[in-house]
Amino acid sequence: MTICQFFLQGRCRFGDRCWNEHPGAGGAGGGRQQQPSGSNRRGWNTTSQRYSSVIQPSSFSKSTPWGGSRDQEKPSFSSFDSGASTSRNRGFGLSQNPFASPSSDAQKDDKKLLEGIIKDMEIWESSGQWMFSVYSPMKKKPNISGFTDISPEELRLEYHNFLTSNNLQSYLNSLQQLINQWRNRINELKSLNTSTNIALLSDVKDGVNQAAPAFGFGSTQAVTFGSPGFPVNNSSSANAQNFSFKPRSGFASAPSGSPPVFGNTPAFGAASSASSAITTSVPSFGFGKPAVTSAASFSFKSPAASGFGSPGFSGFPASMAAGSFGTPGAPAFGSGTSMAGFGSLGSHSHTAFSKSSSDTFGNSSISTSLPVSNGSTTTDNELFTPRDQLTAEELEQFQSKKFTLGKIPLKPPPAELVNI
Amino acid sequence: MSLFGTTSGFGTSGTSMFGSTSTDNHNPMKDIEVTSSPDDSIGCLSFSPPTLPGNFLIAGSWANDVRCWEVQDSGQTIPKAQQMHTGPVLDVCWSDDGSKVFTASCDKTAKMWDLNSNQAIQIAQHDAPVKTIHWIKAPNYSCVMTGSWDKTLKFWDTRSSNPMMVLQLPERCYCADVIYPMAVVATAERGLIVYQLENQPSEFRRIESPLKHQHRCVAIFKDKQNKPTGFALGSIEGRVAIHYINPPNPAKDNFTFKCHRSNGTNTSAPQDIYAVNGIAFHPVHGTLATVGSDGRFSFWDKDARTKLKTSEQLDQPISACCFNHNGNIFAYASSYDWSKASALLVTPHLAVTVDTAWRRELTRKETGQSRWESCAGRPTSVAATFGLTPCSSRQTPKWPGNAVLCVLVCELLQSPLPSRGPTEPCAPDPCEGRLCLSWAWTRRCLGGIG
Repeated sequence: MTICQFFLQGRCRFGDRCWNEHPGAGGAGGGRQQQPSGSNRRGWNTTSQRYSSVIQPSSFSKSTPWGGSRDQEKPSFSSFDSGASTSRNRGFGLSQNPFASPSSDAQKDDKKLLEGIIKDMEIWESSGQWMFSVYSPMKKKPNISGFTDISPEELRLEYHNFLTSNNLQSYLNSLQQLINQWRNRINELKSLNTSTNIALLSDVKDGVNQAAPAFGFGSTQAVTFGSPGFPVNNSSSANAQNFSFKPRSGFASAPSGSPPVFGNTPAFGAASSASSAITTSVPSFGFGKPAVTSAASFSFKSPAASGFGSPGFSGFPASMAAGSFGTPGAPAFGSGTSMAGFGSLGSHSHTAFSKSSSDTFGNSSISTSLPVSNGSTTTDNELFTPRDQLTAEELEQFQSKKFTLGKIPLKPPPAELVNI
Repeated sequence: MSLFGTTSGFGTSGTSMFGSTSTDNHNPMKDIEVTSSPDDSIGCLSFSPPTLPGNFLIAGSWANDVRCWEVQDSGQTIPKAQQMHTGPVLDVCWSDDGSKVFTASCDKTAKMWDLNSNQAIQIAQHDAPVKTIHWIKAPNYSCVMTGSWDKTLKFWDTRSSNPMMVLQLPERCYCADVIYPMAVVATAERGLIVYQLENQPSEFRRIESPLKHQHRCVAIFKDKQNKPTGFALGSIEGRVAIHYINPPNPAKDNFTFKCHRSNGTNTSAPQDIYAVNGIAFHPVHGTLATVGSDGRFSFWDKDARTKLKTSEQLDQPISACCFNHNGNIFAYASSYDWSKASALLVTPHLAVTVDTAWRRELTRKETGQSRWESCAGRPTSVAATFGLTPCSSRQTPKWPGNAVLCVLVCELLQSPLPSRGPTEPCAPDPCEGRLCLSWAWTRRCLGGIG
């Protein structure tokens, strides 16, 4: 039977009497909260989700955009294991859904997501709520990159420590930097243009892949998102950027053990005197968390590292990346005076940081840096290809400064070519 | 335009953080103020367990001290003892027999305070400030669980200096709660893990956060059979999520609700959103109390999904709250929770009003019960940066702003409600009135609904 177009849009006049097929109606009609049936997995889950979002449970949260309706969508998201969801996302271009345009479903979801994000950003900015918090557009989705989590107590402790060393000014400076960074990120998210859109969507979607494993499926996930990504993405140009950089982000995070190179962590630690509390809390203060920095560092480093500056970057000059990548090296093992130096570069590296993370294609959020880094140690073969397995053309592509469209290799680059 | 969004709170009258007029708004609920409150913000409160006769309240503060009061049924509070750490105290808890108090501090240690001998010894060590501490009493073991910003959860037998067990967390521990056999830990980056404590603590499940922003506080609730069955999680975004561990119908049973926002349900004007600083469940009725940065506390019924009552707005954020073991007494601490990151970042014109607001010095001679201390000295160099005139300063700089807080105790009645309809608020009797008002509405609110 043909699929009913109106049903897909949620407005079929005939309902059960309709002569066309209403996919997922059985699953959606019965228990919206239950797992969609197996046949829904292919891609109609999005349909049933949208359908179910019409139902508004009478709960506290009816005025929120995501409280009530998303409750319905949650089970469908979380009920997927990683494999299925991967195929769902990547399979849109394939023949699994020969019927109506699955991309329109995805687009609608994306659009809602983006609108939700914009709205949330506006609320966040105007409401005066605590700004140093991570954010995710929907419950059970991973965090969007570019936000760091600092609790008020941590900030206050920093303040106290700076106070004892009589260095209040540096506290204020660092605070100001954090605030500026946050503001930049919020403004970026509010004014979404196409490239940030794509990055954000892949952010979130990859997150969906990773959502379940975010807390430790680890190695298996690293493999799955690496490999199926390649052949499938060849078809859709929109995803081209995603795929080409995701694998990079995969292994650039492998050396996640070097957060200080990123240069932000010591900024605070340096200024303080003997207080050991600072040095240990340094990793957690500011952008210094190793998990964050590795996520950030892989978004940051990947362009600098592999030198494939522009395609994902939309105007973010590769030289800037290189430049700001280089400078953190200086204060990385900070002396006391580096604070001032850092402050002046600070704006660069901060904006650079925030920009790159937003443009980062495949910067599959902070929580995934953990599984990926786990994965990378154990599954190095899948993340990098040994040099001998590459054709000459692929090798040349990897070695050049930029990829040329149409010749982008489908395999990950060899470990040696990835500049860490 | 303030960095933190326009708030009507910083109004022109500016005698308090939340812009009320010149009336003293530090205790609008006319609750009992605890004598000799700590000098700096209170981070944590804890009441003694039922095994101890009487009610003892422990509060840890950012002035590095832990203080103990006895709270009598009349509401009188008698300071009993005090211990010091070398860093601000972030969490306190009692042992199950009521003889020891455990305190966790930013100096990366946790101490065990024996109340009988008034000695405190260190029992735990971490690599970063210890954020949470809980006592676990299992049939076959008992230990202290400490969660820290070094991303570990350690379990300590108080007699040994090596932890019994160390569990890795995905991120820094922000808050935790324990009701045997369940423990919940909420971490940075919206991490949420449930542990089961039977036999030995082990990770039970990692849960995807039902909230979009940073986790701030968590509290476990019990079902009708007195078994822990779920938890309430509060975030910085003025929202609390109620989450059951094994509900029959997850999408319907788990929900979130908004709280501690300025505009209520009016969504046309931009709301001010405040962090939820603490959640506590009433031990008998199962209703929950939330306290927030907006300076209010609210009571909620999660089964009926309704709000029972919201307090008047205090002039400072409320940073911690606690019920006593039978639910007769609700203690909340009104003190700055650093929700504005720093007073100094507010733009100059606003800062001035805030500055004057926080320079109040108030001595309550009539009750002789508490004394507000004036704000501490703001380092003059910084003040100059912002074009502020330095306020009269004391020698020891503390947090600039109202360094003090007071712990207020309001007494609740446990008797069942005569009726559930709305009743007139009773007029406060000027002399003993402080107690009356809180009795009346809390009796209405907390008893017997559902």
